[in-house]
Amino acid sequence: MTSLRRFLTRLLNSATWRAQDERLREEIEEHIALQTEENLRAGLSPLEARRQAMLKFGGVEAMKQDYRAERGLPSIEDLGQDLRYAIRILRKSPAFTAVAVVTLALGIGANTAIFSIVNAVLLQAFPYPDPNQLVLIFNVPLNQPDALSALSNREFTQCREQNRVFSEMAGNSFHDLTLTGAGEPSIVNTADVTPEIFSLLSAKPLAGRTLLPEDGKQGAAPVVVVSENLWHSHFGSDLALIGQSITLDMRPFTVVGILPASFHYPDGAPRQDVWISVAQDPLFGPRLFQPGSRVLSGIGRLKPGVSVAEAQAEMNTLGMRLAKEFPAEDSGLTIRIEPYRQFVVGDVKSPLLILLGAVGLVLLIACANIANLLLSRATSRGREIAVRIALGAGRARIVRQLLTESALLGLLGGVAGVLLAAWGVWSLRPFLPPGVILINSIHIGGSVLAFALLLSLAAALAFGLAPALLATPSNLQANIKEGGDRTGQRGGQNVRSFLAIAEISLAMVLLVAGGLLIRSFALVTVVNPGFDPRNVTEAEVSLPQFQYATPQQWTAFSNELLERLHAQPGLRDSALGGPLPMDRQGEATFAFSIVGNPPLPPGRSPTADYATVSPDYFRIMGIPLLRGRFFSDQDSPSNPKAAIISETLARRYFPNLDPLGRRMMFGFPPDDSVSREIVGIVGDVRDAALSRKPGPMMYVPFAQAPLYGAEVVVRSSLSASSVATGIREAVRSIDKNLPVTDIEPLNDALGKSISQERFRTFLLGSFSAIALVLAAVGIFGVMSYSASQRTREIGIRMALGAGRGEVLRLILGQGMKLALFGLGIGVVAALLLTRLMSSLLYSVSATDPVTIASVTIILLSVALTACYIPARRAMRVDPMVALRHE
Amino acid sequence: MKQKTDVLQGTLALMVLKTLDVLGPQHGYGIARRIEQISGDMLAVNQGTLYPVLLRLEQEGAIASEWGASENNRRARFYRLTREGRKQLQVETQDWEQTAAIISRFFQVKTEDLS
Repeated sequence: MTSLRRFLTRLLNSATWRAQDERLREEIEEHIALQTEENLRAGLSPLEARRQAMLKFGGVEAMKQDYRAERGLPSIEDLGQDLRYAIRILRKSPAFTAVAVVTLALGIGANTAIFSIVNAVLLQAFPYPDPNQLVLIFNVPLNQPDALSALSNREFTQCREQNRVFSEMAGNSFHDLTLTGAGEPSIVNTADVTPEIFSLLSAKPLAGRTLLPEDGKQGAAPVVVVSENLWHSHFGSDLALIGQSITLDMRPFTVVGILPASFHYPDGAPRQDVWISVAQDPLFGPRLFQPGSRVLSGIGRLKPGVSVAEAQAEMNTLGMRLAKEFPAEDSGLTIRIEPYRQFVVGDVKSPLLILLGAVGLVLLIACANIANLLLSRATSRGREIAVRIALGAGRARIVRQLLTESALLGLLGGVAGVLLAAWGVWSLRPFLPPGVILINSIHIGGSVLAFALLLSLAAALAFGLAPALLATPSNLQANIKEGGDRTGQRGGQNVRSFLAIAEISLAMVLLVAGGLLIRSFALVTVVNPGFDPRNVTEAEVSLPQFQYATPQQWTAFSNELLERLHAQPGLRDSALGGPLPMDRQGEATFAFSIVGNPPLPPGRSPTADYATVSPDYFRIMGIPLLRGRFFSDQDSPSNPKAAIISETLARRYFPNLDPLGRRMMFGFPPDDSVSREIVGIVGDVRDAALSRKPGPMMYVPFAQAPLYGAEVVVRSSLSASSVATGIREAVRSIDKNLPVTDIEPLNDALGKSISQERFRTFLLGSFSAIALVLAAVGIFGVMSYSASQRTREIGIRMALGAGRGEVLRLILGQGMKLALFGLGIGVVAALLLTRLMSSLLYSVSATDPVTIASVTIILLSVALTACYIPARRAMRVDPMVALRHE
Repeated sequence: MKQKTDVLQGTLALMVLKTLDVLGPQHGYGIARRIEQISGDMLAVNQGTLYPVLLRLEQEGAIASEWGASENNRRARFYRLTREGRKQLQVETQDWEQTAAIISRFFQVKTEDLS
């Protein structure tokens, strides 16, 4: 009680210290006056009476100090005093303050920006309750645990019914449907789900309801849940929409509810526009109950207390049982679960952490630079500090004062850094690779600000502590004798050398990392994709399933489309293909078997990427024919089935054999056991991404394996926009309700496939550049300071006959010693650390000698230049001036 | 050094309280004079050290202060004992007497008493 009261009074006193000081002054005056009168009465002379009175009272200043300590909160008051003093000091040297704040702002800004991305992607909670209980459930071959694929309906049902680990389980799939009757025909992102997904993810509708278990049954009335966004953009936000019917793929669905824009699954995927039961999907619905057709991705919620490992063990048992009971479909397969979080952020986690590490290094270099500046300043402030110590300030008190200055600098840098980060994130947004990173969730919020604040203070401590301790030597006498000029010089020189070495080695690590990424990116961009994307435009047309239900209709449509395209001047070179290289929905991969080879157990059969193409496709894409022939109009549905394979497939699966004339069994399900004769071998193509080595690939003629939609490729010298208009017109003249999407030059699609690589190369490259500049400035600072400190020594040497060359060598040698030391440490550290990023590199080893050598040369020449300028200045020293200097 | 001041402060505080208890409201100089008179030269304290003690007691609520007129009709700060201060004085007097009694008994003990 008493102590609380004292604290409150003290707090109050701190605020009213002026009035309090006045009161004490008056009391002291009165006290001394009374004592003086008493002394006068005792017969002393007026002067002596006052002197005695003052003697009796004792040291006024010491008492005042005690009184103040008793009165207020000395640490808070000191802090205020220190802050005022620090502001004054920083304002008195604007150049120093500006350099330090800008340096820090770069470091803290880069960290804050990257942290805001990390925060949004890796740390932010998912919009579902208890996201750590969520797991995804996949089917994988026993020998390829990373080849995740969807579950068949039977596997899904068995999983849901026969296990003790999930409290709830749901399945989902994605499909694009065509929405007509609400403005322009458009493609809507459709989530095909089992109804349990809504309760599993706790999705609450904005209006109406979500899907009910009976909506998921076969033969139920088709109903749809619409997203808030689609409701705004296509239906005028009218609540009357509920109960009405909308047309998806030419089939009516009754709207039962509207889901808020905040709900989406999976987190980070493109936003879904509508949710329907998977049984109602025109593509997946009919195939759902076919044995062996796998369309459902599983998501489950673990029961409380069940670990992922336990759940996986249960799945292994289930997988074995299924393989035994249904060997035709499930032998060689098992079921694998993966925590949801890991699945969503898996791809970007390591690049992000590497970037975070990189900006951490940038900040360290920035701190080293500022520590350096502070050291030089502390030396010039030596006399001031010595006087303050002589006047009775404690060492701790002065260290605290200096640290307050550092903290103020740190905070200023932090504020500037946060502004820089906000600007950086804002201006980088358009360049962020689409996909996992939810661009809109990146913002400078509370936790990011807290991070920036902590970082600023930590940085302040990092760059402020050593200079503060060095500036306040324990041996005061020597200090005053030296006139303060050399305060902490010896220790300071060691610390400076250490800082220079640290900067060089940190910069080395960063530059090697940046260099590796740049080299690997350069290799990716010049890689031959296996086709010629120049002047080729692609466009996608997808046919509504209900309207175009049979393969005959698909073939008829595509023949018609090609005919109309060919009729337009400039669009003569057009063909169909699906999927095209770099297709945003990914490549299609199917298992195949070679007729005449011994049969392999299911799940072990080799796979290859698959495409169905019209005869001119290879010519238009510039894919070379190596042997045999291209497809032709002869490869019609009624003639024998033909196939063309890629060079890699031929080499890998027909070693020392002639594949021409052999037969392979593969195809788009349900045609997966159609036997096709190999008629040609073509060059390899990078179809998944530029950075991925081409795998085996097989092609079939479009006429023999049509798709319900097709991608058009047109090679034309016309501008991209007139090609787009031409394609649109051709499609519209056949069916005005068909949307044409994703019209873009093939080169752009290629660029998008490496957008992540480009983005991280750009970021890490920029950080390396900042690091290089900071390190150069740092080395320059250390060298010019140490050269200026040796002015006298140089003067003596020159007076004794040393030549300018020798002086130059002296200074350069000292600098180069530091540089080489730093480079040595840097190479070792780089070799250890870049191993972590080998997964990001394309055909460059993490210990690439070319990169390491060129970075060493760059840094060495930077260090040499940074040393040469001060060395030249030292060389020009006039011995007389130097000797008189002290 | 610091410890010595603390002990002194504690004693000084008790003396201040007792003085105010006996004499009623007093200004700082009056308290100092009184303590000096009673303790004589035995307690050679700088009078100034009294003021931090007065402040602490006031902050603890044991004494209160207000401006008044001194003997020579000048403005002076008068301190008086509060009810809480009176209680504190009682408690501390008891404590002190107890401590003093124990200490004095210790000094009276001779070696043979312990054997």
